[in-house]
Amino acid sequence: MTQRISKSKRFYMMNPIIQFFKFIWLSIKILVIVAGGHGGTREAKN
Amino acid sequence: MKMAKIVILGAGVSGHVAAAHLRRKLSKQHEVLVVSPNSNYQWIPSNIWVGIGRMKSKEILFPLPPLYKKKGISYKQAKVTSFYPEGDIETTEPFVNVEYVVGDKKGVSEKVTYDYLINATGPKLAFDMTEGLNPGTNKAYSVCTYSHAEHAWNALNELIQQMKQGKKAKILIGTGHAKSTCQGAAFEYILNVEQELRRHNVRDNAEVIWIANEHQLGDFGMDGMLLSYGNNIMKSSEMVEMVFEDRGIKWIIGAGVNKIEDGVAHYETLEGEYKSETYDFAMLIPAFSGHGFKAYDKNNSDITEKLFKGFMLVDADYTPKPYEEWSVQDWPETYQNPSYKNIFAPGIAFAPPHAISKPRLSKNGTSISPAPPRTGMPSGITAKLVADNIIDSINSKNKMKHKGSMGNMGAACIASAGFGMTKGSGVSITTFPIVPDYNKYPETQGRKLGKTFGEIGLAGHWLKLALHYAFIYKAKMKPFWWLIPE
Ligand SMILES: Cc1cc2nc3c(=O)[nH]c(=O)nc-3n(C[C@H](O)[C@H](O)[C@H](O)COP(=O)(O)OP(=O)(O)OC[C@H]3O[C@@H](n4cnc5c(N)ncnc54)[C@H](O)[C@@H]3O)c2cc1C
Repeated sequence: MTQRISKSKRFYMMNPIIQFFKFIWLSIKILVIVAGGHGGTREAKN
Repeated sequence: MKMAKIVILGAGVSGHVAAAHLRRKLSKQHEVLVVSPNSNYQWIPSNIWVGIGRMKSKEILFPLPPLYKKKGISYKQAKVTSFYPEGDIETTEPFVNVEYVVGDKKGVSEKVTYDYLINATGPKLAFDMTEGLNPGTNKAYSVCTYSHAEHAWNALNELIQQMKQGKKAKILIGTGHAKSTCQGAAFEYILNVEQELRRHNVRDNAEVIWIANEHQLGDFGMDGMLLSYGNNIMKSSEMVEMVFEDRGIKWIIGAGVNKIEDGVAHYETLEGEYKSETYDFAMLIPAFSGHGFKAYDKNNSDITEKLFKGFMLVDADYTPKPYEEWSVQDWPETYQNPSYKNIFAPGIAFAPPHAISKPRLSKNGTSISPAPPRTGMPSGITAKLVADNIIDSINSKNKMKHKGSMGNMGAACIASAGFGMTKGSGVSITTFPIVPDYNKYPETQGRKLGKTFGEIGLAGHWLKLALHYAFIYKAKMKPFWWLIPE
C-alpha cells in the first residue's frame, strides 16, 4: 500500500461534519448538471 | 381519438420509466402493457452491496404485478422471442411473439399486437462469449443481477472465513471479456470488497487485483475524462491510480480475458502476450450483447437486419468510420427505428453507432477495448423522452420534439467505494457530455470542466445510499414520484 492520500485530505474526506456540507453541495451540483437538460446535437451542426 | 396500445418489452430501468410516465400522462382509454420475464423490479446499482453482504436482495427489489395492477398498467410475465413489425398473413397489425415463463401458460406463445413498441430489453449478459465464464463456476462470480450478487457474497464470505484461519487469498475483479463494458460496476465492487476485507481484519491476507480491457485506468469505456478535482484538474486515470495505490490494489490493464478455468483467468494483452492469473475468488463482468431476436415481414421473410445490429437499430449514423472521424452527431437523439417509426429502443437496448473509447487491437489483431456503457441515468432519460414523443404522436402534436443525445446529456456516476454511515466512501464523478464532443470542448478532452468533476469521500456514500432510496421510491410510483429526475 502506498499512501497517496495525505492525512489532512483523508480527514477532510471522512469528517462527517465537513462531509455533510459536501453532501448538500454534491446533491445540488449533480441535480443542476443532470436536470440541467439534454437535447439533440444535429441541429446545432446544421 | 383512437385508443392506442403501447407495448413495452422489459421492466428494467428504461422499460419501467417509460411505463410509469406513459401511464401517468396518458388517459386510461390508452393501454400500456409491459412484457418482462422477471416480475421483480431491481435497483441494479445496489447489487454491489448485495455482493458484499451489506444489503439483502429484498432491499433492492419489489414485485411489479401488484404495482402495475394498482396503476392500471397491464403486465405479462413473458419474454419476447420475435418481431413482426408489419404483422403476418393472419394478423394485419404489427405484433411481437412472446412466450410465457411461469405458471400454467409456461412455454405458451402468444401474439401481442401494438400501435407503439418500446424495446427496453437491455443487454444479454453474454457469459457464453468467454469460455468457462459462468457465474458460480470456476470460482468466478458476477454481480449483474441480485441472484448473482447473493451467490458472489456467499462465496466471498466463505473465503473471508478461511482467511480468518490464516489462508492467503488472491481476489481478481474486473472485466471478463476483451469487449466488456460496465467497468464502473467492477470498480465499485473492488473498492467495496477491499473495504470489507479490512472490516473483517483479513486485508493483510489478501492480494486484490484489478483486471480490465481498458488501456488506461479510469477509461470506463468513455475514453477516460479530464475532471475538475477540488482546485485541480486531473485525469480519471490519475484519480483511479491514486485510489488503487492508496488501497493497495494492483492492476492489469489492456487485458482481454478469453478463458476461465478453475481459479485461473487466461488473457491476452494489448502487447500481444498470452498470460494467466490465478485467483481464489473472481468477479468478472461479462460481455453485453443483443438478445439475438429475429424479425420477419408480413410474408414471413427474415428482416432482422432492418431492426437489429446486435442491439436494435435507431436513428444513429451507423456508417463505419475510423475513430478520428467519429462525432457526437453519430449518436441517436430519439431512439426511433428508421424502418418502423412506431418502434423505439431506449436504454441499453439500442445499438450504439460505435464505441466511445478509442478502439485498440492487440499485436495479434484481437480487439481489446471497452464497449460503450449506457448507465442508469441515460437509460432513464432516453426512456422518458421516448414516452413523451409517443404521447405527442398519439395526441397528434409536434412529432419527435423530445431529443436526448448522449453527446448532449450529462450523467452522474456515484461509485461506491465502501459501505458504512461513518466509514463508507464514494467516488462521485459527473460527466458532461457523456459522449465527448471534441469539437465543442477541444482543450478539455471533449468535456466541459466543472460539469465534469470528481469527488472522493464519505458524502459519496451517503449520496449513493440516498439515491438508492429515492429511486426505489420513484420506481414504486409513490406520491409525487415524477418530481425525482431520471
Ligand atoms: C452491477 C451493476 C451496477 C451498476 N451500477 C450503476 C450505477 O451505479 N449507476 C448507473 O447509472 N448505472 C449503473 N449500472 C448500469 C445500469 O444498471 C443500466 O444502465 C440499466 O440497468 C440499463 O437499463 P435498461 O432498462 O436498458 O436494461 P435493464 O435494466 O437490464 O433491463 C432490461 C429488462 O429487460 C428484460 N428482458 C430481458 N430479456 C427480455 C425479453 N426477451 N423479453 C422481454 N423482456 C426482457 C429484463 O428482465 C429487464 O427487466 C450498473 C449495472 C450493473 C450490472
